[in-house]
Amino acid sequence: MWLQEISPYTWAAIGTALAIGLSVTGAAWGIFLTGTSLLGAAIKVPRIRAKNLISIIFCEAVAIYGIIMAIIFQGKYSYVENPTAAPLAIFAGFALFWGGVTVGFANLACGVTVGITGSGCALADAQNRTLFVKILVIEIFGSALGLFGVIIGIVMTTSAKFN
Amino acid sequence: MFSELLSSSLLLQGNTPETPAAAPFFGFIGCTAALVFACFGAAYGTAKSGVGIATMGIQRHDLVMRCIIPVVMAGVIGIYGLIIAVILATGITPDGYTYFKAFAHLGSGLSVGLSGLAAGMAIGIVGDAGVRAVAQNQKLFVGMILILIFAEALGLYGLIVALILSTKKSE
Repeated sequence: MWLQEISPYTWAAIGTALAIGLSVTGAAWGIFLTGTSLLGAAIKVPRIRAKNLISIIFCEAVAIYGIIMAIIFQGKYSYVENPTAAPLAIFAGFALFWGGVTVGFANLACGVTVGITGSGCALADAQNRTLFVKILVIEIFGSALGLFGVIIGIVMTTSAKFN
Repeated sequence: MFSELLSSSLLLQGNTPETPAAAPFFGFIGCTAALVFACFGAAYGTAKSGVGIATMGIQRHDLVMRCIIPVVMAGVIGIYGLIIAVILATGITPDGYTYFKAFAHLGSGLSVGLSGLAAGMAIGIVGDAGVRAVAQNQKLFVGMILILIFAEALGLYGLIVALILSTKKSE
């Protein structure tokens, strides 16, 4: 069937690319969401600049998850003589593709969430100093979603070997 | 003799009509759907209620820690997706994986994922409105929690169906 006739390397390479590409998209989205609010609020309240950089760092961590997973996935990408005749290679191709999609989209959602919450954190901190740590708790809940993606990406691809 | 050689070589390769090599594709869709859609729901719930909490905290900073409950419930939706995704990912093996198992896993993942997406969105919207209302009138706190519990139950229904489907045996 056509699923088995497409080279497993297609699936594996696209999965690796989606893992890093979508994770970085999520991180970038989060950074600009938080950064714009932080810079705008800091005009009148410059004291919030240093502490709220931690929200930016939470978004960057999402991109780090993506690059770690992409490096793990590309490490499994090795040469096999006739891949469409080797069910183990076909399995590895599917595992890497869907593992990459999982990591990518989970990190995309995580990055946007951390960005929105970080933006709220900066604006609340500008009004009342005590709110920073309380809203940061919400950001930590948000960043757990990226970790879920990483866990499932690893569990999916542990038994994925091309040879 | 040639047909015996062919069938034995197919068995060695693992790509038999009972356990086709294309079956894991569908199993993995289920695993991905379980996690990704539940994450989208949890993300929406966290972000939407987070904005509400950041806003109401300016007026009533003493109520903020109590109002983090919608965020916790949205996180639990993410956990539901994670549980099923782990069960499915460990169940998808290169050998002995039939279309029966593959499509059961697909259904399982889609059920927890899409229910989690819906439940997460409901928790987010109710949480946002709820915390803003609690800042104005504290008596509404219990009402908000009751509505959030009903929304969380929707994700639980998806988890129940997913657990039943993922443990389906073909014998």
